[in-house]
Amino acid sequence: MKKEPFDPEERFGVSFSTLKRILDLALLKGGEFSEVFLEYRIYNLINMEEDIIKETAESISIGLGLRVVSGEKTGFGYTNNFEVENLERVARTASSIAQGTREKASLPFHPSLPPKNFYPLKTLLNQEPLKKKISLVKRAYQSALRFDKKVKKVKTTYTELLQYITILNSEGLLISDLRPLLKLTCVSIAESDKTREAGYYGGGGRVGLEYFLTSLTPEEIGEEASREALLLLEASPPPAGEMPVVLAAGESGVLIHEAVGHLLEADFNRKKTSIFWNKMGKKVASSQVTIFDDPTIPFFRGSYNMDDEGTIPQKTILVERGKMMGFLQDKLSSRLMGMPPTGHGRRQDYSSIPLPRMSNTYIAEGEFSPDEIISSVRKGFYAAKYQGGQVEDSGKFTFSVSAGYLIEEGRLTAPVKQATLIGSNIDILNKIEMVGSDLKFGLQTGTCSKEGQEIPVTDGCPTLKISSMTVGGRE
Amino acid sequence: MKNSLFKESSLKELAEFLVNYALKKGADEVEVTLTETSEFTVDVRWGNVENLIEAKSRQVGLRVIKDKKTAFASSSDLAPETLKRLASNALERALFSNSDEFAGLPPPSKVEFDLEALRLYDPEIPRLETQQKIKIAEETEKIALSDKRITNSHGSTFETREAKTILANSNGFLHGYKETLCSLSLALQAGETDKRVEDSWSSTKRHFKELESPEEVAQKAVQRTVRQLNPRKIPTQRVPVVFEPTMTSWLLGFIFSCVSGVAIYQKASFLEGRLGERIANPAITIFDDGLLPGKLGTRPFDSEGVPSQKTVIIEKGVLKNYLCNTYAARKLNLRSTGNAEGPGVSPNNFYLQPGETPPQEIIRSLEKGLILIRCLGLGLNPLTGDISRGAFGLWVEKGEILYPVSEITISGNLGQILEDIEIIGNDLEFRSIFSGPTIKVRELILAGY
Repeated sequence: MKKEPFDPEERFGVSFSTLKRILDLALLKGGEFSEVFLEYRIYNLINMEEDIIKETAESISIGLGLRVVSGEKTGFGYTNNFEVENLERVARTASSIAQGTREKASLPFHPSLPPKNFYPLKTLLNQEPLKKKISLVKRAYQSALRFDKKVKKVKTTYTELLQYITILNSEGLLISDLRPLLKLTCVSIAESDKTREAGYYGGGGRVGLEYFLTSLTPEEIGEEASREALLLLEASPPPAGEMPVVLAAGESGVLIHEAVGHLLEADFNRKKTSIFWNKMGKKVASSQVTIFDDPTIPFFRGSYNMDDEGTIPQKTILVERGKMMGFLQDKLSSRLMGMPPTGHGRRQDYSSIPLPRMSNTYIAEGEFSPDEIISSVRKGFYAAKYQGGQVEDSGKFTFSVSAGYLIEEGRLTAPVKQATLIGSNIDILNKIEMVGSDLKFGLQTGTCSKEGQEIPVTDGCPTLKISSMTVGGRE
Repeated sequence: MKNSLFKESSLKELAEFLVNYALKKGADEVEVTLTETSEFTVDVRWGNVENLIEAKSRQVGLRVIKDKKTAFASSSDLAPETLKRLASNALERALFSNSDEFAGLPPPSKVEFDLEALRLYDPEIPRLETQQKIKIAEETEKIALSDKRITNSHGSTFETREAKTILANSNGFLHGYKETLCSLSLALQAGETDKRVEDSWSSTKRHFKELESPEEVAQKAVQRTVRQLNPRKIPTQRVPVVFEPTMTSWLLGFIFSCVSGVAIYQKASFLEGRLGERIANPAITIFDDGLLPGKLGTRPFDSEGVPSQKTVIIEKGVLKNYLCNTYAARKLNLRSTGNAEGPGVSPNNFYLQPGETPPQEIIRSLEKGLILIRCLGLGLNPLTGDISRGAFGLWVEKGEILYPVSEITISGNLGQILEDIEIIGNDLEFRSIFSGPTIKVRELILAGY
């Protein structure tokens, strides 16, 4: 018998009967759906630089987001004042998105639980001793600094978040989730007589501290950050122009996130602003390309037991052998488009409206070995590490490569730094000539931003070859 | 005591209470920030209200220092028990930090603030009726959609915000101020599905009267969108590049991140150790000014209570000042410039002093080159000054705009660009925190085919 992760009435200090009344009040003017999103979060940060623990911070946030939907319209309000009178005011204000009279009442609550827990933890993060966390920070710091004499500055940051969520709606939903989120990152700055460069590495996920014993040690994080900084010291600016591009397995998943993922979020397609809106079932990529978004990968940063509307998430196929197969749906878009929900309604926090979002997005593995792919290129560019990317609805996207290599006669040669890759998504997707057999995920530290809302995500891909792409360089 | 915490006097009382509580619990120094924000947003798309958001929220921020060890905390739960626990936790955590001789509050000072003169608050904004706000957004989009070249709309948004900030510290500082903001924006698409182009325009002001009208915002958004229709790719080359004011703004944002005192003491900027050196051509003068009446980055004091000031960053090409909070200033043996924002540094109104040339004349001076109108992606490295971004522009030959250009990247180095700014326009407008006129850069690398 599974049990609730916590007692919502106690956690939030507000009774279900009050919330039922608020949900009802919100339908006063004829809205067809009302929802309360309760959130309590405890965030902790430890920061080490210049050889000292310089900063610790704790942040507590508690709030309620109330939403009323009427057709395509959403009325929304939030508050951190849970007094009944104030909640009633918020409900009345949000209810006025509809302008008629009451058509339905809210249904009695049917408490339920997410069927699976993708992040079972032995100990809650905030109950682990501070000393233990500081020791992780110091270990990463020291290993980065000791890696090489050229490393002059190191900054290590530990963050943990515990998010208690309860969602109640007028359809009788009452469901809760308790999500941990952990991250340890390191920035190393290395110096030569000519220049300075920074390297970055990190890890985490919806995991407990034991992650740093088994999956990724603080020493590895420190060393990898310094290794990148040293590599960049030796790197030159990349060539400029069109050329074959090979994308390293793992971090290159940002390409799929930007070039494909965002534009398959249902809202952009319902509104017909995405280039994909009229391409369901059509070929949008080379037939080697299959893309998934999967919120159910255990312990991953982008995973969740339920989405932020209480929907149970599903591994969703977006592109199958080059053919477009699905959108990422939230409740609103799935209803308006008449398509099944996929459990991708996510929000930054109680003060934000849910939107269709990605979770863990990746290209499935293909048949080529990474060596085969690299050796197929006579002269080209190998993108290894990234700063991130951006896309617009028309399909134009860029991503910023922090480190890569030249490919000459089928071999990786000189290291290069700071390049921008730019393209149009369908064009580039069709130019994916080879897909590797080495699927990997990028760092468990990524954040995706949409309409000002930031949420944790991951992405991944095997080694990929794009037959031709514009590389923004300087030579 | 229902809602009594929303009243100004009790926000002040609460701040003082928390300062005293933390002192009593053993803190050497304490700083408390209380903010209360009311916001309103309406999104209209294809003539229908899509989202209507109204909310009021509160937040407390706390910094305690014990034996020169610092801890921070914040909460949206202002219940006295929570605040007490937060303060005790912070003091406990401080013990685990290391002692840092540079930590601490700014020294006490007796300053009078002339809030009236700063024009931060417009009483008309909280009085705007919901229907009026919806109408403004509707009207803006409607004007744009009447242009047949516009094929889709991301919608128009009207937003208002009213905020109150109270800052108290154990050196006897206790001041507050109220501010307002309103903003009207519109994002559009033109062209058929597979050849779409898009852009947006927005106006943000502290005073409703100063906001651009629906006509102005709509026309700007339409014009900026349709001018990109039927773009071409161009070959890789080095050419002069004219930055429109919005592009000068991002360049200034990058300059800011390279002169932030925090980046300097962390050795994370290529401008570290270069105060007093000539780093730009003599035509370049850049200020940060927190006292410009009614501007977006204006505030009476920073997050530590240091009064705002006008700071010259680059004067006739010479690097004069870094922007510092108290901590960075102590580390660098400089003075705080009133730019603290929590443990970091933020700009106030950061701008490039305008020149005398009208923008049209700058474009006419282009024999062959690009007008940079939009960028996509990151690609800025403060350690080296290297820049590499996706770009959209207008191709110019013999002073005439010939066609739009897309799918190119620009690259260069900030140090070199500061030398290479050949002409500075006379069209400075304070549209955002970072403001600059049109500029012409002698040469950048464009990567195309």
